[in-house]
Amino acid sequence: MTEAKEPKASPKKPKLNLNRVEMPKQSEHERRHNFDEVALGYTWELAKEEASRCIQCKKRNCQQGCPVNIDIPDFIAALQREEIEEASRILKRKTSLPGVCGRVCPQELQCEQACTLNKKGAPIAIGRLERFIADWERTQGAPTMPEMAPSTGKKVAVVGSGPSGLTVASDLAILGHQVVLFEALHVAGGVLMYGIPEFRLPKEIVQREVQYVQALGVDLRLNTVIGINYSLDELLNTDYDAVYLAPGAGLPKFMRVPGENLNMVYSANEFLTRTNLMKAYLYPEYATPIKMGKRVAVIGGGNVAMDAARCAVRLGAQEVYVIYRRTRAEMPARLEEIENAEEEGIQFHFLCNPTGFLSDGRNNVAAMELIRMQLTEPDESGRRRPVPIPGSEYIMDVDTVVVSLGTSPNPLIPSTTPDLEVTRWGTVVIDERGRTSKARVWAGGDIVSGGATVISAMGEGRIAAAAMHEYLTNGQKKIIPPTPAKDED
Amino acid sequence: MYPIVDHEVLAPRVHRLRVQAPVVAEKAKPGQFVILIIDEKGERVPFTISDWDRDAGTVDFVFIEVGKTTQQLATLQPGDRLLSFIGPLGRAAEVDRYGHVVTVLSGYGIAATVPIIRALKEHGNTVTTIVQAPDKERLFGVHPLEELSDDLILALGTKGDGMMESTTVAIRKLLDAHPKKPVDRVIAMCSLCLMRVLSEMTRPLGIKTMVHLTPVMVDGTGMCGACRLSVGGTNRFACVHGPEFDGHEVDGWEVLMARRCTYADESILQQGFQCRGCSQW
Repeated sequence: MTEAKEPKASPKKPKLNLNRVEMPKQSEHERRHNFDEVALGYTWELAKEEASRCIQCKKRNCQQGCPVNIDIPDFIAALQREEIEEASRILKRKTSLPGVCGRVCPQELQCEQACTLNKKGAPIAIGRLERFIADWERTQGAPTMPEMAPSTGKKVAVVGSGPSGLTVASDLAILGHQVVLFEALHVAGGVLMYGIPEFRLPKEIVQREVQYVQALGVDLRLNTVIGINYSLDELLNTDYDAVYLAPGAGLPKFMRVPGENLNMVYSANEFLTRTNLMKAYLYPEYATPIKMGKRVAVIGGGNVAMDAARCAVRLGAQEVYVIYRRTRAEMPARLEEIENAEEEGIQFHFLCNPTGFLSDGRNNVAAMELIRMQLTEPDESGRRRPVPIPGSEYIMDVDTVVVSLGTSPNPLIPSTTPDLEVTRWGTVVIDERGRTSKARVWAGGDIVSGGATVISAMGEGRIAAAAMHEYLTNGQKKIIPPTPAKDED
Repeated sequence: MYPIVDHEVLAPRVHRLRVQAPVVAEKAKPGQFVILIIDEKGERVPFTISDWDRDAGTVDFVFIEVGKTTQQLATLQPGDRLLSFIGPLGRAAEVDRYGHVVTVLSGYGIAATVPIIRALKEHGNTVTTIVQAPDKERLFGVHPLEELSDDLILALGTKGDGMMESTTVAIRKLLDAHPKKPVDRVIAMCSLCLMRVLSEMTRPLGIKTMVHLTPVMVDGTGMCGACRLSVGGTNRFACVHGPEFDGHEVDGWEVLMARRCTYADESILQQGFQCRGCSQW
């Protein structure tokens, strides 16, 4: 049993009204100075105690709340029977990334939100249990391999090895198809590697789950850019029967305000890629540097903004501000991430918006001009629109800025594939089963959504994989063995 | 992994490496670049492709030792392998029939512009090439330029008289003879400061001046914005919209040059790197 580090007695201030088993965490003070994982993970005793709270209700709302349809009551029952390996097999029937799901899924909006215990008290900590099982298997058990269907003789190209691509690659490999997984970067995992920091999702866990997908027979081709090295048509006209497009997000959005290109104004993608993918926090042992000042302003209110702010703290910033033009209630970031950021001393400035950046005379950012905002009545999406308050301009001294306002879809593949229909924002158009306008091509993840979550990308991958399988086996559910060749009369 | 198949020292601290990378060689075009990583602790660094052989599946690039990664690259011998070698990235150089084209080259550009000049000749242009180098010892790659160019001018600045002037002196002569002896286009792959000066010299004459910009890059495929600059009032990414731009439309020179040196003191260890009079120092 992996003994988790003695859980620090974090002060018993009840944050969420959840009387579930507390997750041991590094103390706020300690974790400000390292990139180690904040949540230390359940020990077996804690996992057993939490699993025992599950009343195994027949309706299985939790499972319906899961975008990849994990058999939640079953794996919890296995834990109750103290059969951890069985629990892992059940879990991996539906997800090839359990260690990822358990850590970064917004369970409070999905499976845990649907848990019937919500009425009486706190829902089961499903994410934490998933994580426990994945970590247990990684350190203790032999990796459980699913039974693989016989080869269908069909070959599939998956473009992009982020959460969506990994899900489709493993699903189709298990169903007997030969899968080649193309990745432009030098490692697989996409946002799991460059975006989400080590302290939320250790890279070693992502790579272990990539290796699991490779163990299913998926041929991973790194350093290969589809749209440059091969066009979609070249893939389809050479040896691939179908293609799944999941190249992920693309160009980071900027605000088009004066001074936005000054030195030390980063996009969140650059800031996080240097820090996480290239491990700049271990410079100079790792060669990629990251230049950062003492007063860091992160613009934006989503999970990426929280990740960037919390990285800045660990990289040694003295002051870290999150600048968000609406209020805390409207922040898209997960509640848990907002609280973690607050605990780590990050200061939130609401109802304000940058209008420009000032140089120190040598083109390094030295200050930020802002204007105060107020919220109008809710717009059609139900969110209240922020509008500037004339005359409320003011200046803040900052020497580093991270612009975290989302990304626009990667134009590379659509621009080299004329018959691939896209919306006016550049996202790929799909039907409800992931099929694009181009024959034999399906798509999912940020290239379709424009920028959503890890789990929604995996959910879209699950749906598209099923549709692709149906097409590849022309609708036959089972694979009919080839009829033996008749002897010549 | 990407094996090194050839390593030639062209001049003091100037190297040409040939790498086995068939996927890159297959689609390479003049003016494109690769992003390479030496090992799993290395950084992602862009290098402009200077030659390729589609049959042998190899790609060449020339670099100057300026910092940590280039100094490490300089030690690699045939048989050693690179962790990553991604490309061909960026848009190919614009090449058409223009008439008389003047190319201005320095540093790695001396080798990396050869494929562009070859393409210009194939399109029936006459080409005058100006090569800037600090002195004779540090001049390299002259032979292919002599063969391809109709006229080759060597602007070798001796120590005292500031080499920039001897290049701009050569350009000034050509521009003064314009339009009698017309200059229809300028293509520059040299230091940022020189490309900026060139653009200002040709602007009043309306001679289109294409500049190959080399901002700091991290990702190289359009995902991080490290290489962004202002062109024609909007943000362009050198990695996907460039690296070649119309010098008269680049309006973010000052900031681009500052960004270019963000990490000059850390990863670039070369003492003399600080350009004279640059706002960044």
